[in-house]
Amino acid sequence: MTDTVGITALIPPELVYACRHRPLDVNNVVPTSQINPRSKLCAWTAVWRDEIMEGWLDIDSLIVVAGGDCHNALVDGQKVALSGVPTHYFFYPFDRDPDYMTSQLKGLARFLGGIKDKEMFHTISRLKEKGLALDQLRVDDRARASDVFSALISFGDMQGDPAAFEEVLDTIPRTDVEYSSRVALIGVPPIYPDFHEVAEGFGLHVVYDELPYEFVRLGGNDLQGLAGSYRNYSFSGPIVDRIELIRQELDRRRVDGVIHYTQFACHHTLEDEIFRAHLDYPILTVQGDLPRPSSEQLKLRLEAFSEMLEVMP
Amino acid sequence: MNTGLDVGSTTAKIVRLESGIITASKVVPSHRWKELLEDGNKRDTVETVETIGTLETPETTGTVETIGAAETVETIVSTGYFRKTVPHTAAITEITAASLGVRYYIPDAQVIVDVGGQDTKVIDLRNNTFLINDKCSAGTGAFLELAAHYFDIPVESLGKLHTRASRCARINNTCGVFAISEMISQLVGGYTMEEVICGIHQAFARRIAQMIPPVETVVLIGGTVLNTGIVESFESIHGSTVVVPPSPQTVNALGAALYGKKLRPEK
Repeated sequence: MTDTVGITALIPPELVYACRHRPLDVNNVVPTSQINPRSKLCAWTAVWRDEIMEGWLDIDSLIVVAGGDCHNALVDGQKVALSGVPTHYFFYPFDRDPDYMTSQLKGLARFLGGIKDKEMFHTISRLKEKGLALDQLRVDDRARASDVFSALISFGDMQGDPAAFEEVLDTIPRTDVEYSSRVALIGVPPIYPDFHEVAEGFGLHVVYDELPYEFVRLGGNDLQGLAGSYRNYSFSGPIVDRIELIRQELDRRRVDGVIHYTQFACHHTLEDEIFRAHLDYPILTVQGDLPRPSSEQLKLRLEAFSEMLEVMP
Repeated sequence: MNTGLDVGSTTAKIVRLESGIITASKVVPSHRWKELLEDGNKRDTVETVETIGTLETPETTGTVETIGAAETVETIVSTGYFRKTVPHTAAITEITAASLGVRYYIPDAQVIVDVGGQDTKVIDLRNNTFLINDKCSAGTGAFLELAAHYFDIPVESLGKLHTRASRCARINNTCGVFAISEMISQLVGGYTMEEVICGIHQAFARRIAQMIPPVETVVLIGGTVLNTGIVESFESIHGSTVVVPPSPQTVNALGAALYGKKLRPEK
């Protein structure tokens, strides 16, 4: 493994490893970043952009997920490209077309120098099975949501070292969880680094993290398998598909309420009224902007939501 | 006895319930909240209610002591911004307090709008959801304070002055700060102070109306709705039937007291 490849959203980490590169999900540095972005809409993209351009984040190349993610990332990714970082643009098919998906994966493999280690597909598949088992543990109240979230969100890049990451997964404590209500967290992940701990403090057990679940739900043992799976990445296609998946998971995980996290200046914020119209659960919408510890305003909302789920008929 | 103590950003309120009847209520500025627990309002013994854990007694107050089986049992349930720093048996958010307090008067209430000094909350009781506007002064008591300060008049007089307006100046800006410059422009343009105040009330009502889901009846609470100009403007702009419960300023304190009743039903 040689070069570190930054990725701006979900792409198959299996493929990056199979091409003998090390993926680094640039979003994972954002919640604890000290950067105050110079110009921004969404802080998620603006912070990783400045982290890279200021030289605080050491990557050799960047893969920008443009189609199926957001245009803020596309513009900020181009700024990085103009600064001299070799950059590749990856597009998910909105219509889930398997041929288009395959062509995108082939293009990505070419950018990375071609597939050299097919065994990595199987290594990552095995890790993802562990991830799914861990996810189920918190559904069964036998693991803290904050621990599981930290693990699942790391499946975007396996923390740069699948073997070491497997050891991390094995050390996550199994513990009986006490709570007052079960909630789902939908939308992009909160930019607050302590969100899950704060929610736990108010008796809210997050049993579903929508986006990180995609990181373990999707996979494959060869290029064709990856294309067949990743074309169903819920965030990249029609929202009706996403609603259907969310409904299934809310039911399966027996949630009492839904928290919709929205990011300031993110187009996903516009989806809030769609979810409110199509999900028959109490919904709390919260919004974050810059990466900071959870604000008092957020805490008030979480506390009130917890009370409402517990006290109100 | 169940006591509800609501210490908000601007005012502190207390409500006492005995046998389900409101026996006392009082409102003072927030910084004088200790007075609410004195002068006949004070009970110096408070029993810990097991279901909610240990009573917190902040060093700053020193007026509450915890005992075992007390001869006089009182629960104090606090709410509002200062809910966790004033003496309390349990602390609940204003959202829960408002929901319980409004249902005391209006059991079939659907949507509550609580206009506070620093934020506005819209609570939809039909599906247990709520919205809070706490990032922008427009649509909060702070907006009206700003307008009253500009005219150098007490904020309590805004409602009365509104009734003297024969027309309303149009204030378009939804930002509280920029609305002041728009007020000045309207004064320059020939509108009277009363007409500008009417315009301010309408801008305020428009801001709040944007937060409210479709509904036939809205319950308005909070000290700000003592201003009849706000209520009148809201009715005309939102188009719903508006209900203001008795003592809209103490509804959250009442809800807190009712929560105490849930914790420890009176015998």
